[in-house]
Amino acid sequence: MSLRGRWILIAIVTVVMSYLSLPSFFSEEARTSHWWLRKDGMTLGLDLQGGIHWLLRVDSDAAIQRELEKILSSVTDSASEAKIELAGSDIKGDTLTLRGDIPGLRKLLDENVQSVDVDEQDGALVAKLKDRWKREAIDRGASTALEVLRKRVDQFGVREPLIVPQGHGRILVQMPGVKDPASARVLIQSTTFLEFKPVLDAAPSKELLEAKFPSGVPEDQQIVINTTRAGKESEALLVPKKAVLKGDMLEDARMEFDRRNRPIITFQWNSEGAKLFRDFTGANIGHRLAAIIDGKVITAPVIQSKIGRRGEITGDFTREEASNTAIQLRSGALPIPLVLEEERSVGPSLGADSIRDGVRASLLGAGLVFLFMAIYYSLTGMFANLALIVNVVILIGLMSATKATMTLPGIAGVVLTVGMAVDSNVIIYERIREELRNGKTARAAIQTGYARSFWTIFDAHVTALLSSIILVMIGRGPVQGFGVTLTIGLIASMFTALVVTRTLMDTIYGPHPERLRI
Amino acid sequence: MELFKTKTHIDFVRQMPFMVAFSVIVIVLSLASMAVRGFNFSIDFEGGTVMEVQVPEAAGDVGEERIRDILQKLGQPDATIVRLGAPEDREFRISLRGSQEEDRDLTVTLLKGLNEALNTEVVAKSVESVGPRVGGELRRAGVTAIVLSWIGILCYVWFRFEWQYAPGAVLALVHDVCFTAGLFSIFGWEFDMNVLAALLVIIGYSMNDTIVIYDRIRETVSTRGTTELESVVNEAINATLSRTVLTSGLTQLVVVAILLVGGPVLRGFALALFIGILVGTYSSIYVASAVLIWLARRYGHPVPAPKPERRARPSRATS
Repeated sequence: MSLRGRWILIAIVTVVMSYLSLPSFFSEEARTSHWWLRKDGMTLGLDLQGGIHWLLRVDSDAAIQRELEKILSSVTDSASEAKIELAGSDIKGDTLTLRGDIPGLRKLLDENVQSVDVDEQDGALVAKLKDRWKREAIDRGASTALEVLRKRVDQFGVREPLIVPQGHGRILVQMPGVKDPASARVLIQSTTFLEFKPVLDAAPSKELLEAKFPSGVPEDQQIVINTTRAGKESEALLVPKKAVLKGDMLEDARMEFDRRNRPIITFQWNSEGAKLFRDFTGANIGHRLAAIIDGKVITAPVIQSKIGRRGEITGDFTREEASNTAIQLRSGALPIPLVLEEERSVGPSLGADSIRDGVRASLLGAGLVFLFMAIYYSLTGMFANLALIVNVVILIGLMSATKATMTLPGIAGVVLTVGMAVDSNVIIYERIREELRNGKTARAAIQTGYARSFWTIFDAHVTALLSSIILVMIGRGPVQGFGVTLTIGLIASMFTALVVTRTLMDTIYGPHPERLRI
Repeated sequence: MELFKTKTHIDFVRQMPFMVAFSVIVIVLSLASMAVRGFNFSIDFEGGTVMEVQVPEAAGDVGEERIRDILQKLGQPDATIVRLGAPEDREFRISLRGSQEEDRDLTVTLLKGLNEALNTEVVAKSVESVGPRVGGELRRAGVTAIVLSWIGILCYVWFRFEWQYAPGAVLALVHDVCFTAGLFSIFGWEFDMNVLAALLVIIGYSMNDTIVIYDRIRETVSTRGTTELESVVNEAINATLSRTVLTSGLTQLVVVAILLVGGPVLRGFALALFIGILVGTYSSIYVASAVLIWLARRYGHPVPAPKPERRARPSRATS
């Protein structure tokens, strides 16, 4: 490429990269208010801006169990349809045991359920989920959980959260700016499940209620306890196991205040739910209806009139509880519990400290390198310094353009890149000095210096890239950010060492080789 | 300005047997320490919980003892409590080694417990909690990453040079990693994710050094042949010595700056880099070249025809 062509290339790269990197030096407000600034700057990692990082895992045992429950319920239905005797059933771990008309049940399973391996043991049918279906159950659980989490985090008011699947059955959640790890926990509270059930019977305590059924509570009914705020049992209620209505038909739920300024939860059904609710309340005026969240009775009022689409739950809860419950009701239940495998939260003050320390160290380190180069190689050293500046501009520009995340080790990576980029120049300059000592002319020395160094620099960069790319692949969070910075920095350094300094030298020394100061 | 006014004539090759012996001793010590003592892993690799909290002034005079008592009552008698910074900062680090995967809400429980006992709102400056499963995976991933980069570099050097060059390059890298990690094990310095990252940077850096020297050896071989291989290697190392010293010196300037003012998070990282760059520079000269000489003596070294001076980028201005 001609000298002019190289200058044009350098100018274009520098201008574009400066433009791209500019937003990273301005605040969010400035970026939106100035038309000439791009909106996207580098993203600051959680370790710098503060926030919460979670690595969640779907509880695989629960996912498998949930899958078996589904199979059981469909088997129960089709067995009663086909008049096949199903005497008993049991789910333990990853096995489903069925008793009754074994050949009939076996035929039923073979025909309708492909996801299980069926075996006969001790006069019972033992069904185990196949491995592929286990994996699928876990993946499905993870993707449902991901959707629910997205909704919840969104309603929690987090700006620019990151919620992504992370390998098999795992979810990575990053919430910048969230300060309080305790209150954020509500987001992963396992299952908020709202159910409405008619109250069939009631007694002041569980014992008294049980006493009414000497032969035990009927199979399809259960006893639930209504507790006071202090956790004392206030009443025992007998309700059917099957709910009239479930929270999955909710369209909306929010926290509001009633006339006495007590927090209440208001809700709104979708059309299907509204119809069911209207029919049920219409037919049961004067009877009691229990609102149950996660198996706990919240309230069990007497139905005064027909209720349709909208309703409200008055309970003995605090404002925060009501608000959190509403969030969970709105976003739906997490179908499968999540295990918190990794939690990292950084407060905003610590992040600010880190930025300050990192920037200070970088400026100090880079300053020392600059000073040394200028003294040691005089004018030619200044060329290298210019190239280093272009290098950093390209690095920040590329990181801004790709919306890469800058982390604290990443800041160290920027300045390390400076240290390594300077190496390419040192290799070339030392070679030029050597050629000069061997008696070559300045022009020939520059020529040979670059020619002999090219492949050395190329090989050195490729091998360094190898390990930095591996860092990007296996690293997490801040370390991954460091790998990205290093990788981009190495690419930029090849360009600046081989093109920028060369062009500067050709321009200044080309016509006047006698001026070479090195 | 020049530090190396005249060409140096140091007989590196003669020193190699001593240096290799020294390296072997250090590596054996390092491996023994890694096997016996293991590492002082951070929670990144072992699982556990670390919290940094700041107690507001309203709580009165609170010391490590007080916090230890509170944690004991919360069922955590094994917690380590360290004061951070000056007493007036009122900051503490609470560490729980090993992990409590079952108790997802442990950190929240502890913070609430502290708040109640001190009757105030403790500021959680940072909370980190890693389950044992993740810790184990990260350890494996770390080892995989290092081994992968060794293999990658082995292949690349083989491809770009002669095969006789590749084992020395990789042995030098194995040497650097064992040496640096070994010191971390021997002195019980905390080994966290950043230190692992530093090990990979060291691999890249040391490779860089080795390539520069190898390149020069190959170039010198092409003009002088292999009959006096020792003196060829000496000449190559001496010719690149000023570059070697300058580059590692400049990089160390940056690393020392990070070590001194980069803040506590990066300290282990900078320390590992500092050691690694010293060792990496040393191993490129003594380990990589020693192995190359040995292999070339034993299996021969093909002598390439002298190459004409290659021009990297033809340019009108200089031609």
